[in-house]
Amino acid sequence: MPEVRVDCSATLEVPLSLGSRDGTRENSVDRERALDRFLAGIERRAFRIACIALRDRAEAEDAVQDAMIRLVRNYGRRPEDQWRPLFYRILKNRITDFQRRLKVRRAVMAWWPGQESEEARPDPFESAVDPRGRPDEHLEGAELLARIEKQLAALSSRQREAFLLRNFEGLDVAQTAAAMGCSEGSVKTHYFRAMQALDVALREWKK
Amino acid sequence: MNEDMQELERRSRAAFDESVESLDAATRSRLARARAKALEGLKGRRTVGPVLWIPAGAAAAAIVAAMLWQREEGGPATARNEATIGAFEDLDLMAQGDDFDMLAEDPGFYAWTDEQLSDGVG
Repeated sequence: MPEVRVDCSATLEVPLSLGSRDGTRENSVDRERALDRFLAGIERRAFRIACIALRDRAEAEDAVQDAMIRLVRNYGRRPEDQWRPLFYRILKNRITDFQRRLKVRRAVMAWWPGQESEEARPDPFESAVDPRGRPDEHLEGAELLARIEKQLAALSSRQREAFLLRNFEGLDVAQTAAAMGCSEGSVKTHYFRAMQALDVALREWKK
Repeated sequence: MNEDMQELERRSRAAFDESVESLDAATRSRLARARAKALEGLKGRRTVGPVLWIPAGAAAAAIVAAMLWQREEGGPATARNEATIGAFEDLDLMAQGDDFDMLAEDPGFYAWTDEQLSDGVG
């Protein structure tokens, strides 16, 4: 796995359309098709991951679109095997930005008289009645995912990222490290701790 | 990782895959539009590459040389200043990639105008 370095603040623009002028139009078209295929294959999973991380569908769509645009614009000329970690690195940064803004907004709202903070509101998920009655047999599909999503919110951001990228997106350790901007050892640690926390939380819920 | 955790790993991944597969049509459509929009960025982008900087640099050097020559020739100070400002405006324009695209895409037209001008003078 080649080393992938990402600078999401980079403004250097890669002139992909240059190919049409210097006789490499075919290469340019091939690359456009390859990018289309890559994005088509990744967009739904990326959206679901962004949804889980952001807990906001509209913001998740914006984040995915933004990551697509930045990948095409800034890294479209990189080798194809680098696109996936690069894309998730961009998406991760976008998610982090959103979470920071949200934190500031919540802090401001907490000082605003008469405003109820989001944390103070009852969690509709917690108060919802389980239509199947006892949640003691097994957790299936959507229900399991809903529980995991809830527990993921309680993890540290690094643990959550490691879990989402390793487990849900299926990146290997090296790719996850490239996407998270940390060492492979850190990825293993964060992922293991995330799995451990989820395992404990879901066991307690099953009791 | 113990067996329970491995089982959780497997089941959570399957649940996630299922949720991706069951995404609603409207969301799928919006994502496809977002992709198309991102790929539009490939079309119509014009950035001056290294090859095109060579004629740009040569042209800029010629303008600077002309400015210096004009300065040597003398003349009213105001006229010289205006010429200098004009030359720098030209440099600004030449720094735009699109101007060089035009030169690169239609060399025949420029050859023809050159010919016409030569005919007119001769």
